[in-house]
Amino acid sequence: MSVARLEDVAKTYRVGDQDIHALRGVSLEIDDGEFVAIVGPSGSGKSTLMHLLGCLDTPSSGRMEICGQDLSRASRDRLARTRNRDIGFVFQSFNLLPRLDVVANIELPLLYSGLRAADRRRRAEEVARSVGLGERLRNRPTQLSGGQCQRVAVARALVNNPRIVFGDEPTGNLDSTTGRLVLDMFRDLHKSGKTIVLVTHDRDVAAVAPRVIEIRDGKISRETRS
Amino acid sequence: MNFVLLIETALREIAAHKFRSALSMLGIVLGVSSLIATMALTAGIEQGTRAFMQQIGGLEYVQVVNKEVSGAQADFWNLSPGRTLMDAEIIRAAVPMISHVSPEMYHGVSAATAQHNERYRVTGAWPDHYDVARHELAAGRFIADLDVARASRVVVIGDLVRQELFPGRSVESVLGEKLTLNGSPFTVVGVLKKYERENEKRREEIVAARRKNEPIAGRSRPSRWDPFRQKNESVIIPLSTMFYEFKAAQFPMDAMESVRIDNLTLRVADLDFFRETLSQVRSALAVTHRGVEDYDLETREEWFDRMEASISATRLSGGLIAAISLIVGGIGITNIMLASITERIREIGIRMAVGARRSDIFRQILLESTSISVIGGLLGIAAAWGLIGVLVRIAPSENAPVIELSSLVLSVAFAAFAGVVSGLYPALKASRLEPISALRYE
Repeated sequence: MSVARLEDVAKTYRVGDQDIHALRGVSLEIDDGEFVAIVGPSGSGKSTLMHLLGCLDTPSSGRMEICGQDLSRASRDRLARTRNRDIGFVFQSFNLLPRLDVVANIELPLLYSGLRAADRRRRAEEVARSVGLGERLRNRPTQLSGGQCQRVAVARALVNNPRIVFGDEPTGNLDSTTGRLVLDMFRDLHKSGKTIVLVTHDRDVAAVAPRVIEIRDGKISRETRS
Repeated sequence: MNFVLLIETALREIAAHKFRSALSMLGIVLGVSSLIATMALTAGIEQGTRAFMQQIGGLEYVQVVNKEVSGAQADFWNLSPGRTLMDAEIIRAAVPMISHVSPEMYHGVSAATAQHNERYRVTGAWPDHYDVARHELAAGRFIADLDVARASRVVVIGDLVRQELFPGRSVESVLGEKLTLNGSPFTVVGVLKKYERENEKRREEIVAARRKNEPIAGRSRPSRWDPFRQKNESVIIPLSTMFYEFKAAQFPMDAMESVRIDNLTLRVADLDFFRETLSQVRSALAVTHRGVEDYDLETREEWFDRMEASISATRLSGGLIAAISLIVGGIGITNIMLASITERIREIGIRMAVGARRSDIFRQILLESTSISVIGGLLGIAAAWGLIGVLVRIAPSENAPVIELSSLVLSVAFAAFAGVVSGLYPALKASRLEPISALRYE
């Protein structure tokens, strides 16, 4: 069963009076529970591909199906709902809100899903403990190390119990040891049944994934499964 | 996102930028406080004016005055007997829409008790005078029909007269006392209420509270016409008594109906038929004056209209100042909110990435601007007390400002409205951000 399916998808941006073809006819299917890495040099279109799979954007042409829903022409609010329910993001630069403490940051997606305050708090604290942040619940992101920040980000991505977790260069801002630890977390998530999509330019990072999709000039240039 | 959560988020954001938020509130604080102050001042003026209008008889009060006859009638002006008691009788008999008729005669007399002696203007009147002049009794009774029929020697006095002729005596104790008017003895049967303005009352209360027996400022006779003062100086006797006691010698031995009177005032029963009533009065007077138009009817309409117009002009100019400050305050908030969302583009991107819809972002920004303005409005209420105090000190008015609850509610509602309007554009701008570019924004 597939959680994401792209059929001949193209994405064109218009910058000034120039059309930039970020993706030119990509077809791709990701099954439930897969661990996929998308690799490619910068400007290859891998970020655009992740934005489409992560419902941050819609394709210019072609068909896009996420979690069984055709979202090729979905409205922004429809995409927001899918992002809220089925998708979690872990970004390279963590993207935490500096004024909120750890629990409030993890809670953020739940604010938009209509949960009651007490349930939100309980769920956020539960997830925070599961990623090893039980001692740091009231700290601000500025008081945490990079690895801890990324764990907060992972907890935030997991708090809504999504089907797909995206990692956008999740180890890019970390030293190799903490990077390893974060990758281990992704591997554990995969083992627990989540679909993982890692986007990276680092082949060593990509190597942890059993399926690697290489993107070049807006097309899939190679696909390997191990 | 639900409402409570939105407010919580908004307040947290405001608290995170205390100085900036305070600055952006300032315009709203000034706007709201000036709005409340203006409304309090005009409410005070309005209350004072209404009390004044009430004291001089209200809109229902109509006065029959003498008028120069027109050129066409100049040759036979002396056909008319002028304003006589007959005018009063005919209006009472023939114009039912006039509820009260008060013919009056005046005479300057020397009033005396055993110890004191003062000069007053005595009014000879009918019982209707009580309602037309809107008198109120503190004790005793007013002139009655029987007093007029018998030409009794009874007198009703104003509060100032009581103080001057019977100093230190209570209102009730002077009833039944004798006084002489130009030597003739009269019995006091009634004492009128003390007529005073709101601020005079307040001043006396303050003085009483301090237990100081300072003379109250403004006791000297005011140069301009003051209905309050005039009514407190009333000395009223029956019209017939006035005629026989002081006026009979001035007239030929005619019937009393042909006696000239010094004033004739009327009270209209129903203001809805004001014009019709006046035209009936004119018809009745045309008979007694034998067609000579040497009389006119003076009403308070124009005068009261002018007072109302000046009140609404004051209100409008004050409201305009307040509206301008609220607009300026609103622009200030818009400015701050635009700066704030530019600073928070990335935060908005993150919120969108985790599932915030456009309406969530829109409401968040809108509620933040509204919270700023409502807090500003509440601070403005506090500032208004101070502002009113300063205004009263630099420009003392006869009328004490009156802060009405409705003005507080109204001004905070205006502030909230200004907050909503000023937040619309920033909120729209924030909600239209693309999630991807917002996330990448450095």
